Amino acid sequence: MATILFIVFAGLAIGSAIAMVSQRNPLYSAISLIGVFIALASIYVTLAAPFIAAVQVIVYAGAIMVLVIFVIMLLNVEQEEPRRRRLRFLVPAAIGMAAILIAETAFILYSVQTTPGQMPRGLSDVGLTYSIGEGLFTGYLLPFEITSILLLMAIVGAMSLARRTGFLSANARVVPGTQVLAMDIVNPRAVGDQRPVQTKTSNEAAHLLGVDSIRDREE
Amino acid sequence: MEPQLSWYLALSAVLFTIGAAGVIIKRNVIQMFMCIELMLNAVNLTFIAFSSFFQDVTGQLFVFIVMTVAAAEAAVGLGIIIAIFRNRESLDVDDASILKL
Repeated sequence: MATILFIVFAGLAIGSAIAMVSQRNPLYSAISLIGVFIALASIYVTLAAPFIAAVQVIVYAGAIMVLVIFVIMLLNVEQEEPRRRRLRFLVPAAIGMAAILIAETAFILYSVQTTPGQMPRGLSDVGLTYSIGEGLFTGYLLPFEITSILLLMAIVGAMSLARRTGFLSANARVVPGTQVLAMDIVNPRAVGDQRPVQTKTSNEAAHLLGVDSIRDREE
Repeated sequence: MEPQLSWYLALSAVLFTIGAAGVIIKRNVIQMFMCIELMLNAVNLTFIAFSSFFQDVTGQLFVFIVMTVAAAEAAVGLGIIIAIFRNRESLDVDDASILKL
């Protein structure tokens, strides 16, 4: 019975993983990755780790993948551009490296034969919530606290990264009416490019400059 | 025949390899990010398998911490992806190959 479950869920995990890598559309990849997470959570249940299985579904398939899908939809990139020729050689290189990695892991599997092969019989409390909580708050209290500091740093870092950091200051205003701007003001990447860019309305100029000041001015 | 420990390790190795190959093959930043998540999950499977076969709770505690790190990585990584997209109008890693804006 356990063998059948393992084969079913392992096949689901590997199939979803291959589908994830072979998809061109990031949204389909994300959904395939959720399939991998669900299959792995099922395998955790068969390994007598119900708490981690629940956390896997809630945190990974729930929170993290929702965040990823949110970003995919927010950026809304329509289609992947055609593959560039000069990167063709990367595919055989990747296959070769994957073969090397598989060989290494096969060697490790071969040399790990001294470990106990069978799952221990009988009931155990290893995977239960209270034993995990006991371990987390007694022997591993310091890593737990360090993890909380890491999360705090992640919150601060994500906020400072995602903030709109324009090259104009936040209280910059656009002059109303038709105007001519230099290219290196509109596009910060075109350094030193002084070609004129003409805008018909002040809304258009504000959009080019990344300033949404028109509404502020009218209020 | 009961599942052996080496089966779980083999599954983990296969998943990790698929993730590593994906990081090399893919050019979309978000898809590379998801491949990294897959590699983290392959390592988690190893931890759980060893924890279960050795009857030791330590492996599951480490999985818990790895998940926290993955959540922090998702928050910061997606923030970086949004910042790259704002500056380059593209999610292709080849467009972000120089370390300046």
